[in-house]
Order: sequence, then C-alpha cells, then structure tokens
Amino acid sequence: MNEKELGDYIITIDNVSKTFPGGIQAVKDFTAKIRRQQVVVIMGPSGSGKSTLLRCLNGLEEADSGTIIVDGIPLDDNREHRLEIRKEVGMVFQSFNLFPHLTALENVNLAQIRVRKKRKSEATKMSMELLRTVGIADKADNYPAQLSGGQQQRVAIARALAMMPKVMLFDEPTSALDPEMINEVLDVMKDLAREGMTMVVVTHEMGFAREVSDWVIFMDDGQIVETGTVEHFFENPQEDRTKLFLSQIL
Amino acid sequence: MKGHIRPKVSIFHRLKQRVFLFRSPWKDTIQFILLIAVIVWLMSLSTSRLGYYWQWYRIPRYLFRIEEGRLVAGKLIQGLLFTFRISGVSLVLAFAIGLGTALVRLSGSFMGRILTRGYLEVIRNTPLVVQIYLVYFVVGPIIGLGRFASAVMALALFEGSYLSEILRAGIVSLHKGQWEAAHSLGLSTFDTYRDVILPQAIRRILPPLTSEVITLIKNSALVSLVSLSDLALQARVIAADTFLTFEVWFATAAIYLVVTVPLSTVVYYMEKRFKILT
Repeated sequence: MNEKELGDYIITIDNVSKTFPGGIQAVKDFTAKIRRQQVVVIMGPSGSGKSTLLRCLNGLEEADSGTIIVDGIPLDDNREHRLEIRKEVGMVFQSFNLFPHLTALENVNLAQIRVRKKRKSEATKMSMELLRTVGIADKADNYPAQLSGGQQQRVAIARALAMMPKVMLFDEPTSALDPEMINEVLDVMKDLAREGMTMVVVTHEMGFAREVSDWVIFMDDGQIVETGTVEHFFENPQEDRTKLFLSQIL
Repeated sequence: MKGHIRPKVSIFHRLKQRVFLFRSPWKDTIQFILLIAVIVWLMSLSTSRLGYYWQWYRIPRYLFRIEEGRLVAGKLIQGLLFTFRISGVSLVLAFAIGLGTALVRLSGSFMGRILTRGYLEVIRNTPLVVQIYLVYFVVGPIIGLGRFASAVMALALFEGSYLSEILRAGIVSLHKGQWEAAHSLGLSTFDTYRDVILPQAIRRILPPLTSEVITLIKNSALVSLVSLSDLALQARVIAADTFLTFEVWFATAAIYLVVTVPLSTVVYYMEKRFKILT
C-alpha cells in the first residue's frame, strides 16, 4: 500500500476484537476502512456489536486486539494519541448526554474553551453559529431539561461539531426520540453529510441510509456479514441474513 | 453558577409565600405557644424540685459587655468566634482531604485504594476524642504541630473521611454518559471533574454535606479537651466560676442552634435555587 492510498482513508480498522468481561464477544476480527468524506452506515440487529465497534473508534471502549488508526494516529496506550483522536472524532449518543447543569450554549462552549483554549467570546460566536445551523439558536440559554428530545440531540450535534472534528460518529442518534422529532435530527445529519463531513452512523433509519450513505456495513454477531454501496444493499443483497434483516425492518 | 430561568420574584417574596402558606396561621401559632408553655412548665417543675435559683440576668454579660461606651464580646461570644475559626479552617481542610480521598478511591491506583481504605476504616471506627488526644499528644509533637494545628488536623481527618464517602457516592451516582460525553469531546479528567462531574455531584449531595458541616461545628466542641478556648470550654469555665450551670449550658446550646439552624435553612434554599431540572 503506498502513501497516497493510505491518505485516502481516514479510519483504518484492522482485525479488531472486543470481548466484555463475562465472555460476551461483541466484536470479532473486524476489518474495515473508511474514506474521507464518506458516510458509512452500520446496520444490524441489536446485540450485533455495532455500538461497541463505534465506541472503540474513539477509545470509549478499548479493543482487546487489532489496530485502529484514525487520521494517521494509532489508537494505542499512548495518552497523547488517545486525546488527539478524541479531539478529531466527534460523537453523538443515543441518549444525548448533554450536561444538564449547563445551558445549550454553555454545553457547546465548554470543550472549545477547555480543549481548544478559546476565549469565551470567540467560543460563543462559533457556538451561536452552530446552534443556528442546527436550528435552535433561540434556545441557546435554555437548559437541556427545557428542550425536547429532538432539540437536545441537535444541541449534542452542535456540541460535537464545535470541536471541528474530522469524523463524526453517531450511535443510534434517533432511537430515543419520539417519531415526530426524528426528522429534525436526520435533516441536520443530512446537511452535514452533504457538506462533506466524514460520518460513521449506527442507525436503523433506512430512509437516511438510502439518501446519503455511500457505504453500508451489515453486522451480525460481531462480524461483517455484508458490505456494499446503498444500491447493492437495498436492491441486491446477497446474504440470507441481510435479506431477513431488511425484510423485517423495511 | 447560573440559576434557571424563573420569573423575577425577590427571595423575600418567595420566603414570605413559603412561610405564610400555613393552613391557618392562628392555629399553628397557638399550638407553638402551647408547646413552649408546656416545656417551660416542665422545666420550672423540675428545677423547683432541685431547688434551683434561676439567675438569667447574669448571662448577658458573657455575651456582650459595654466597656468605655464600646460593645465588647463577652467570653461566650469570644468562644463562638474561636469555634467559627477552628470549624472554618477544619472544614476547608476536611473538604480537600475528602475530595482527594474520594478521587483516589475512584482512580485505578492499587496502592492509593489500599491507603485510602485504611485511612477510612481507622478514622471512622475510632472515637474522635481518642483521635484528638492522639494527634495532640503523639503525632503533633513528632511533626511539630501546635495545639491549634493538631486540633484542626484531628477534626479535618475525621470529617474528611465522612465527606469523602459522601462525595464518592455523589460522583458515582452520575450517569456514565456524562463521562463519555466529556471524554469524547476531548476534555481531560481534571476538566471533566471540574466542569461536568463535581458541579452535578455536589448539588446532589448538598443535604448530607450540610449535615456534615453542622456535625463538624458541633464536634469542634471536643477541642476544648486539649484546652482550646472554644465556645464549649468558655462555657465550662464560666459555669465553674459562677455556678450558673443551667443558664450557661442552655445559653451555649442556644448559641450553637443560632449558628446551625440558619445554616441548614440557607442550604435548603440553595438546594432549591440550584436544583438541576430533569
């Protein structure tokens, strides 16, 4: 593999395995590469290891074996590396995980001030811009509990974007939302995808996958069952397990 | 710390609302007066059997005196000020010890966990009186601590052990998603504690934290055992000098109450004010 080719991939996952205490093997020998500006959707039944894999990518879970390289930095025991990767990788959680004692604006400001060492005025300027982008600038001074689920998730997206990450990870970002709020979050994500953000999304939202994803990975039992373009995936799936899953979910 | 958005109502107005929200103010007032009357009656009954001669008029001079036209603190108030001083210093130190211990216990360090565990077991399972004597007579001279410093150290070590368990409980009660969100934003462990974890944890543990502060103020009375002139020691001296045993100790108890009751009231309102909406 030559240098130039390596540069194309922002995330390289090689032979990653993860077993939880108690012996449940969540991820088995997982290998994949993700290109810059690609939107990759990971699908699969619950318990298939999608979330665990995603959490391994920014070090929230530690892989037992295999290597993960993000933007040229290996995710290893080196604290500097881990910190560097966390700055480059944004994450959005199923349960939002906003800081409840801070306003929406303060949530978005915090990491800019602490990690990027920006002045408060500078951070606020950027935060307001991001909150405008996700459509909730008018709620900047509200506390998370005063926002709906969809609004909270959009604040969470703005908070992750404030770090100017190179990759965004989404861990079932709409699963905890009431149906009428799912679209407001998906729309923000679609805009992000169109702007060229590299995204790895664990989701069951087929509409979203169809519309913006470049590549789909179907996982079961900690392993890749089938991968391919969206067209391949929805029109011509090869594996029985994929077909079964799609027939259940569509 | 910013509060939540709420209509602009002065704290006095809200206080008034709360205080006067009784079903019927007259009923409660009468009940309260009756209760006090019964207590006074029982006390006079018991003291008349003892043949005690009340001399309350001799007490005020131990609170305040007028000397050359200036108001001067009497012995009891001097003692109270000393109690404030020793409790304040001990509290700051106890909080530092408690927080340090809690963080070490939550960290991965094996040695750290053993040490803090040992500290907690020893301190919490021996009487404070014994610890004060040990620190004053044994540890103090060895490491060159004076009387005040020894007493502060004993109090701080004692309260620190309880505070650390309360803090630890508050910290682990937070959802782990808070840690994950902070980490995935690239916040260091220090920043995460300072900006995300502790502000939430401390709000949750305000009630037990308050009782520990009050316990510390009360426990500080034990430093009179090593002849530090706090409120309790002054009371003992005055009682021995004047034989006003009942009056002095009642007055002393009242002074402790005057300090501690407003404290818990203030915290009660703080708790409401800074409550995190969920």
